[in-house]
Amino acid sequence: MKLYKKEGNIVQILSFPNETVEKGDYLLVEDADAGKGLIVQVIDVQFASVPGVLEELLRSLPDGGEIVQGEDFDPLEIAPHITYIQDASLVVCKIRATVENDSLNPSSSWLPSRSQSTIKKLSIPTLLKLAKVNGKLPIILGGTKDSSLLTIDAAQLDGRLNIITGKKETGKSHMSKLLMANLVGYKATVVVFDLNGEYVSLGMTADGKRNAYHDKIHVLTPSQNFKVALKQLNLHVLLGILIHALHLPGTSAREFRRIWQTLKERDKLTLNELGETIPNWHCNQHVRDALLSRYHAIVNSGFFTDNIAEATLLEEGLFKAKEQGGAIIVNLRNTSAIDRQIVVEYVLGKLVELLTSWKLKATFLFAEEAHLYLRETYWDDIVTRMRHFGIFTTFITNQPDTIRENIYRQADNIFLFNFTNEHDLDVVSRAARVDAETVRSIARDLPPHYCLALGKVVQDFPMVVKVKALDIKTMGETRLFFKDTN
Amino acid sequence: MNHLIEQYTITTTPKYNFPQPTIDTTLPQRFTELSLHSLKHIQNQPIQLNQQNLQQTNNNEIINTIQLNPQPIPLKPKLQPTTVAAVDTSSIKIGETNTGILIAIRGANVWKQNRNYRYTRIGPFIFHITEENKKEVYNTLQRAYFSTTREGNHQNYPNMTQMPMRIASLLERWLQTMLTKTINNGLILFDGSLTSGTGDTPTQLMKEILSLARKRNNTVLAFSKMTTLRINGHLITDALPENKPPYLLETHGLRTRPPILLLGDVYVARFNKEKYAFRLDIDREIASPQKIEAVEKLLGNESLSQSYPETLRLAHILCTFTANEVIAMQHFAVRDYGFRIINRPDMHKVLFGPFGKGENYS
Repeated sequence: MKLYKKEGNIVQILSFPNETVEKGDYLLVEDADAGKGLIVQVIDVQFASVPGVLEELLRSLPDGGEIVQGEDFDPLEIAPHITYIQDASLVVCKIRATVENDSLNPSSSWLPSRSQSTIKKLSIPTLLKLAKVNGKLPIILGGTKDSSLLTIDAAQLDGRLNIITGKKETGKSHMSKLLMANLVGYKATVVVFDLNGEYVSLGMTADGKRNAYHDKIHVLTPSQNFKVALKQLNLHVLLGILIHALHLPGTSAREFRRIWQTLKERDKLTLNELGETIPNWHCNQHVRDALLSRYHAIVNSGFFTDNIAEATLLEEGLFKAKEQGGAIIVNLRNTSAIDRQIVVEYVLGKLVELLTSWKLKATFLFAEEAHLYLRETYWDDIVTRMRHFGIFTTFITNQPDTIRENIYRQADNIFLFNFTNEHDLDVVSRAARVDAETVRSIARDLPPHYCLALGKVVQDFPMVVKVKALDIKTMGETRLFFKDTN
Repeated sequence: MNHLIEQYTITTTPKYNFPQPTIDTTLPQRFTELSLHSLKHIQNQPIQLNQQNLQQTNNNEIINTIQLNPQPIPLKPKLQPTTVAAVDTSSIKIGETNTGILIAIRGANVWKQNRNYRYTRIGPFIFHITEENKKEVYNTLQRAYFSTTREGNHQNYPNMTQMPMRIASLLERWLQTMLTKTINNGLILFDGSLTSGTGDTPTQLMKEILSLARKRNNTVLAFSKMTTLRINGHLITDALPENKPPYLLETHGLRTRPPILLLGDVYVARFNKEKYAFRLDIDREIASPQKIEAVEKLLGNESLSQSYPETLRLAHILCTFTANEVIAMQHFAVRDYGFRIINRPDMHKVLFGPFGKGENYS
């Protein structure tokens, strides 16, 4: 390989057919005289602009599109040299860092010698070592192309905002399960908003046996094993549900606050009492109607109960997880859109309450297709306020445009799976921790189950990894009509 | 030393005889040997690349006293199946060394059979030509071909700049001979004219080639892409009557100064409505009706886009060197023979900046 051109932080390298270079590979352009080298990543492989190639191709098809048959007597065996030149490729690379005395800096301001520099592949283990991508809490994401393992540090997910995105059936949920399982393994508290009931069997192996996480996975299905009693609720949590999930106007919310205080003073905070109090409450008829309709929505959700024995305390699960590590899977499958919002409002409100009072240290929140249940104002909350409380969110989506641009800008880590749609790639490329060319070029060619890891987990050295398999019972399979036909 | 030039294996088909892949390798063998020999002992020779490439062109000397018969000879395509074959060679300078030049030669025979084109391409042969070895190279190749040497006749020795074309001409004559020995009742198309007596077209040799062709009832037709022949200041290929093509315009009165000799009768050929015409030389020893018939067979058997035979076009295309191939040959010289590439600046550009158009324009 030969250094050909450098423009800004893009380097072009001439590569010959016997040198196999692919997108995502890392190369070291080493200038021995300067005593330093450039670490570059291949973002595109093109044909080198070899003069005369067009003529060469035209010559092979001059007969109305049919190849002219013939014999070539090539005594000096020049033909291999011709194909060697013809198949030369231009490797477009992005400068990631400068390496000098085994230490890295992000500078790309110097120019290595074109004639004297040597270019060689940089193995992922060497790069990981140079970039110090290691730590005390390793999470093996999977294998890289050079058959080495890509291990990230769980600490790099701590306090971070993460996004897992890619088109359908590329392995997003698999990645989130992998991260989750490892976090639980390191005794972290994890809360999952499980939209499709994909995570409910995390405690089981593929063949249905209990796995190491079995006792740490707590699946809460609203209105089944996950109900709350009004007595267990703080007013502001319920007000949050009424205002944000059920869109209760401010005036009505004020009246509700009075009703709540009254019932609480009488120690009659039950659904039944609430249902009897609202119709007789002295207030504007419209307000009463508004309160009644919300009351019925709450009752119909099945999420609330007056039976304390039936109520599941979210705190219990969270406290248990706090001690030994564990995941609270909030199974939102078969839950209506409004009920979903009620549950999410409750869980988030409860989490903030527990974190604010330091009853919980921090929580890793995994939110699948969050736009389906997260209210508008929560997006900003999650990246700013809630982060400070200790809720570290990982968004998982196959519709990247449903996540706001400011979330991408502030995302610390992105696990990017295949996208072919230009619009989707445009959205993801707004992330601050990566350049648009890398996203567009590499993500488009990722095979299923291959992920481009970006951000702090890889010390800003984008790496392609084949996500390792998990011995976990799969629940994310799409139900098919023709499945048993053959 | 005499060398036996073997013939192609001939297989009779119901209609044609055509060259088979098993070819006589005597001359290519010499080319190969000389090529390799010339490249030896040049370890670490620097080669200068940015010199002008010299693709082969023909430029013959003729006393321009030509007359053109204004009455065209109308042509009617004869569909009688006839083999059409063509020869072309190409040479190129791929670099300069301290002591000489590095050149490459390649040739191609193309023939049309059952509406399909086939080819035999020979080369490239790469030679390192120096003042010291140019006589040896040229003599050896001549001996291999002519079965004779012309040592002593110093006028016949090409200078360095002529060497690429001269060596290419030797290969071209050999390829032409191969076709004349293997094709029966066919049309053999040459690139250029049938003018002999120039350094690269010895009269005796050209006569032998034409004679061999006639023996097998072949007709040699030579097409010149460019001609310098003029009538009243106009190129003969520009003075086209409005008659409906295809037709031939007969010329007469063309004289040459010895040792230049015309071995063909010169015509202007226009084969279709496109305003392209070419100088066409047809073997002089063939009777006039047979000459016309040969052209009519060409019309009936060959694709003639822009009035130029496709077989000849293919021969040219197949042997012409592309820039990619030049780079590959330079790569070969560096990799296999230890040449060192140097990039000496073009003095025209250095001295005259944007007004320096390169050595070719000096």
